Amino acid sequence: MKRTLRACLSLFRIRAAESLQYRLAALSGAVVSIVWTLIEVTVYIVFYTYAEGRANFSLTLGQVIAYSWVKELLYALLVFNIDDEIRGKIISGDVGVELCRPLDLYWHWFAKSSAGRVGTLTFRSGAVLLAGILIPGQYGMTLPASLPGFLLFLLSVGCAFLLCSAFGALVSAVRLGITWGDGPTYMLILLGHVLSGGYLPLQLWPDFIQTALLYQPFAGMIDIPARLYVGSAAPAEAVPFLLVQIGWSAVFVAVGRLVMSRRLKNVIVQGG
Amino acid sequence: MKELIFYRRLIRINLLSALEYKGWWMMVLQVLLTVAADPVGTVLLFSRFGSIGVWSMERILLVYSLSVTSYGLAEGFLRGFDYFPWHILRTGNFDRLMLRPRSLFTQVAAHFFHIHRFARPAAGLAVIFWCLARQSAALGPRNVLLLVSALAGGALIYTGIFLLSSGIAFYSIRVLDFFNLTFAGHQVSRIPVDHMPRLLRGMFTFLLPMLVVSYYPASVLCGWGEALWKGLLALPVGALFFGLSLLVWRGGVRHYQSTGS
Repeated sequence: MKRTLRACLSLFRIRAAESLQYRLAALSGAVVSIVWTLIEVTVYIVFYTYAEGRANFSLTLGQVIAYSWVKELLYALLVFNIDDEIRGKIISGDVGVELCRPLDLYWHWFAKSSAGRVGTLTFRSGAVLLAGILIPGQYGMTLPASLPGFLLFLLSVGCAFLLCSAFGALVSAVRLGITWGDGPTYMLILLGHVLSGGYLPLQLWPDFIQTALLYQPFAGMIDIPARLYVGSAAPAEAVPFLLVQIGWSAVFVAVGRLVMSRRLKNVIVQGG
Repeated sequence: MKELIFYRRLIRINLLSALEYKGWWMMVLQVLLTVAADPVGTVLLFSRFGSIGVWSMERILLVYSLSVTSYGLAEGFLRGFDYFPWHILRTGNFDRLMLRPRSLFTQVAAHFFHIHRFARPAAGLAVIFWCLARQSAALGPRNVLLLVSALAGGALIYTGIFLLSSGIAFYSIRVLDFFNLTFAGHQVSRIPVDHMPRLLRGMFTFLLPMLVVSYYPASVLCGWGEALWKGLLALPVGALFFGLSLLVWRGGVRHYQSTGS
């Protein structure tokens, strides 16, 4: 157990350092993120200013704008994608080599795919954050609603990282069923993308599904941290939110391990 | 001509090998779902807020679907460029391509082919026709010409973007997210043009001419008040953009030093 932990920690370090290498790529990613966010903010401004039915909503314009920036910050963390290296290994048959290592494959991949997120997270998010602060007026990012809210936001981001890594490992385990190709994996990823609030803040979805939206697993990836930041959820309500995040992380880990051990029983190693 | 036959052959091989996976239909389904999920944000916004003056949901969706469909066409036929930096350049496979007596463009373009990529243009076309019907735009010869020119011009622009990012990849080796600007192009079509900030409008008209292949043809098609010649600009502008990108790609090839081992 201790050996596994230590091996996984160094794997994490190697992979994180590697993902920090490609600075130009990270920079161009940041530019695209910023442009993207500005466009999205414009969409919201147009809707909030000119649309016919400007009724009272659960989110104000300022909150939606801050939400968009926070979402973009967290985006790197999510990288809703299967780790390229792991996918390559499954396809090329290198998974056989991975199995020879005296290391639990699940935690090995968990460490790797979560580390892949760190590089982009620090670099890209840093640039986006800077832009969000510097961009003046209506378009920029506003300060968090309150100090306790902000601290809880940070805590919640940590939980989101755990949740996303667990989900990423589950997706990799599903991908092990090589005869199925990419289909099932991408469907899972898409599901996560839409339901996390990546397309539209969950609070702007129709009212009658709000409760269900809040407790589904993907809300913890973007929506819950963002709510705490913009203050559309009071700090006092935070505890159940965090529990939802941690609970679903545990579920993803359990299911991921189960899927992986079942898939490994008759794994197909390609190549020759 | 020889290149076309060669292209068809490569595509055929790719197609057959993809059909070996039993999950291939799930990929078709998945892309259909992606396409359906894409405008979910917009549709939900409209259902919350109602129309923005004359800008109804149909209008926005028409502009949006024009842009998505032409993107889908480019992606369907030239998938190889999408994967180029990661799967061909970084692995050193590009060296092998250079040894063959066939055009690099064809080889890269047909290196990958995924049948499910055609789910996007198919769904996009369905939405286009739905929006046109909702706004009672007749499909006379003029409108068909406009539509074809818009889609062809759009496909050329997106191909140009693929080429640009592949060309730049020769220098950076890693795929640059620059390519994601295409999605920013879709995103921009969600803003009603009348309310678009000037900077954004200028950028997506003159620099990255997305509006030329989506908004202007749509406006002429449904009679929102843009002049006919602006609607017809799509194809020439697309060709121009494609030509310029081809130059960058050529420059990249000339600069290429092997990455393989």
